[in-house]
Amino acid sequence: MDVLRVQDLKCFYVVESQGQQREVKAVNGVSLNVKKNQVLGIAGESGCGKTTFLKSLLGLVRPPLRCLGGKVEYIGNGKATDIMSLSKHQHKELMWEHISYVPQGSLSVLNPVRRIGDTFESFIGAHMEPSTTKHQYEELVCSHLEALGLPEDTLRAYPHQLSGGMRQRVTIALATILKPHLILADEPSTALDVVVQRGVIQLLKDIQEEQQNTIILVTHDMAIHANICDRIAIMYAGKIIEEAGVEEIFSNPRHPYTQYLIGSLPRIGDKAHRISAPGSPPSLSDLPQGCSFHPRCPEATDNCRKEEPMLTGIGGDHRVACLSLTRGDFNADQAQVALDQ
Amino acid sequence: MPFLKKYLLPRIVQYLVVILIGATLIFFVPRLMPVDPVQQTLEKITIQGAFLDPDAIEQMRATLQDLYGLKGGLGAQYLTFWKRLFKGDFGPSFAQFPTPVMTLIKTSLPWTLGLLVTSTLLSWLLGNILGGLAAYYHERKWASVLESIAMVMRPIHYYIVALGLLMLLGYAIPLFPISGGFSIGRKFILTWDVMLDILKHALLPALSLVIVGTCTWFMTMRLLVSNLMAEDYIVYAQVAGVPDGEIAFKYAIRNALLPQVTGLALSLGQIFGGALITETVFAYPGLGTLLYSSINAGDYNLMMGITLLSVIAIATGVLIMDLVYPLLDPRIRYD
Repeated sequence: MDVLRVQDLKCFYVVESQGQQREVKAVNGVSLNVKKNQVLGIAGESGCGKTTFLKSLLGLVRPPLRCLGGKVEYIGNGKATDIMSLSKHQHKELMWEHISYVPQGSLSVLNPVRRIGDTFESFIGAHMEPSTTKHQYEELVCSHLEALGLPEDTLRAYPHQLSGGMRQRVTIALATILKPHLILADEPSTALDVVVQRGVIQLLKDIQEEQQNTIILVTHDMAIHANICDRIAIMYAGKIIEEAGVEEIFSNPRHPYTQYLIGSLPRIGDKAHRISAPGSPPSLSDLPQGCSFHPRCPEATDNCRKEEPMLTGIGGDHRVACLSLTRGDFNADQAQVALDQ
Repeated sequence: MPFLKKYLLPRIVQYLVVILIGATLIFFVPRLMPVDPVQQTLEKITIQGAFLDPDAIEQMRATLQDLYGLKGGLGAQYLTFWKRLFKGDFGPSFAQFPTPVMTLIKTSLPWTLGLLVTSTLLSWLLGNILGGLAAYYHERKWASVLESIAMVMRPIHYYIVALGLLMLLGYAIPLFPISGGFSIGRKFILTWDVMLDILKHALLPALSLVIVGTCTWFMTMRLLVSNLMAEDYIVYAQVAGVPDGEIAFKYAIRNALLPQVTGLALSLGQIFGGALITETVFAYPGLGTLLYSSINAGDYNLMMGITLLSVIAIATGVLIMDLVYPLLDPRIRYD
C-alpha cells in the first residue's frame, strides 16, 4: 500500500536577476510512489535537487521556490490528501502527527535560548489531545527518550550544551515521538563523525522497525543507503534517473550515472583506482537539451542530445531513465560492484 | 565561587573605573568652558547699578571662590571635589546660591523619573511586540499598515510631533492642559485629585514620547525579527505545526529581544539627563531644563551633579544588564 504518491512534481526556484526571470529547475518532473513500512533512500550529488524535493514533500514551498505542476498525495487513514493544496491550518495538523521531519544540521534547528524540554513541549503540545494531563505528557516524553537512549537530563539542557550526536538524537526523538506514518530525513548524519553516524542511522532504523513507519532518507552517502534502505532512488539534475530495490541497485545498476556512483565506492582490499563520472553536474538553471547527463556520459549518442528519456520499468520494480538501455547494456564490467556485505 | 571571581568582580571593578573616569571628566570639562561663574555673579551684582569700589570687588571675588570651591589650583579643587562627593554633597548651586545642588535635583528628579520611566518602558514594550509581530506576520495587511505608520512617523523630528500633539490635543481639541506639571495654585498634597491632575498634565508629554519611542523600537525590532525569519529553528518549528502565535513570541521575538534589552538599559540610564525638548515644549518641570539652565549660568556644581547622576545611572544600567544577560541568553557563560 502506498503512503505517498508523487506525480510529475515540478518545483522551480524562480529568481529575477537584471530584469530577467530565471528558473532553477530543482525538482523537474519527479514521479515516485512510496510504499508503507519502507525505507526509501534518495541519493545523488550535491546540487541535484534532493533537499528541495524533500522540502516540497513537506509542503514547504515558499518563494522563491514555486510549485509549477504535479501533485504530492499523502495517503493516510484511508484517504488521500494533496499536500500542496492544504490550508495553513490543515497543514499544521497533518505535520508531525502524520508526517514528520528530521532536519539537516541539528545545531541551527533547535532554538538556542530554549531548553530541549521546552522545544518538546511546544512541538508535542501543539498536537496533543487537550485532555492529556501533564503526568501523561511527561511519561510519554521520558519513556520515549529512554527508548532512544537519551538521559532525562537532556530535557534540561540547552542545545549548545549537547554534542552533535546527542542533538541529532534529539531531533530524531522529536520527529518520532508521535509515531508518524511518514518520516522525512534530510542528511540526518552528515555533520557527524562516522562512529556517531552509525549510531544515529541505526537508531533511525530501529525506530522504523518498531513503529512500522515509512522513512524517506536523503543523503549523498551511499554506504548509509546500503545499510538502511529498502529501495533507492537516484536523483540527477532534478530528476529521478533510476529507482530500484537496494540490492538490485548495488548489484545491477543500469543508468551510466548510477554505475559511476556505485563504481566510485571503495571496497576493502581493492586498491584499484576508482573511476568517477567526468565533469560536474549541470547548472539547474541551464540544463542541457535531451538527457541532462549526456555531456558526461561516455555512451551518449545524437539521440541522447535530442530526446529526453522517461523513467521506464525494465522488469521487476526497477525503473531507469536512459535511452541507451534500448540499445543494450552499457559497460557491463563497471557494473560488477556488489553490496559489500 | 568562580562566578564571583571571574564574572562579578571584573565587572564591578570596571563599573567603578567608569564612574571614576566619568567624574573626573565632569570635573574638568566645565572648567574648560569660557564661562566664569564668579565673574558672572559679580556682574549680576554690578549690573543692578550698585557702585562698588575695586577693593570690595576683589574681596567679594575671593569670598565667592571660597564658597564655590574654586579656591586654589585645579589639583586642590579636584581633591575638595572628591571629599565632598563621598559625603554625597555636590556643593551649593552657583546660580541659585546657597541652595544645595542635591535639593534642586531632588525636586526635579521625580518629575523626570515619573514621565520618562513609564514612557520608556511602555514604548519599549509596545515597539518590540508590535515590531516583532509585524515582521512575523509580514504578509498580513495589518502588518504593512503598522509598518507604513512607523516608517512615516520615525523620520519626523521629535519636536514637530510634540508641537503637533500640543496643537491638536491641547489647543484645537482642548482635551489636555497645554503646559506645566500640575495646575497652578494647587496645593501639593497626596490626594486622588492631585494625582489625577498630575496624570492629566503628564499624558500629553508621555504620549509624544511613547509615539516616537514606539516607532523607533518598532523599526529595529521589525528588522531583527525579519532577519530571523529564515532561521532554521523557526522554519523547523513551523514545519512541526507549532502554532504561529507561539513561534512569534517564543522563537522570533524572544530571540531578537537580546540586543533590545541592552538598548533598554541604555535608554533607562539616559533618563537621568532629562528630556530637554519635551520639558521645553510642554513647559514640564524636570532635569533637562535644570541641566540646560545650569550650563547657561556656568553653574559647575549643578552641572556636575546632574551629569554624574547620569553617568552613575548608565553605568549601573549596563552593570545590571551584564549580570542579567546570561539569564536571557544561556550561550553567554559566567566565565
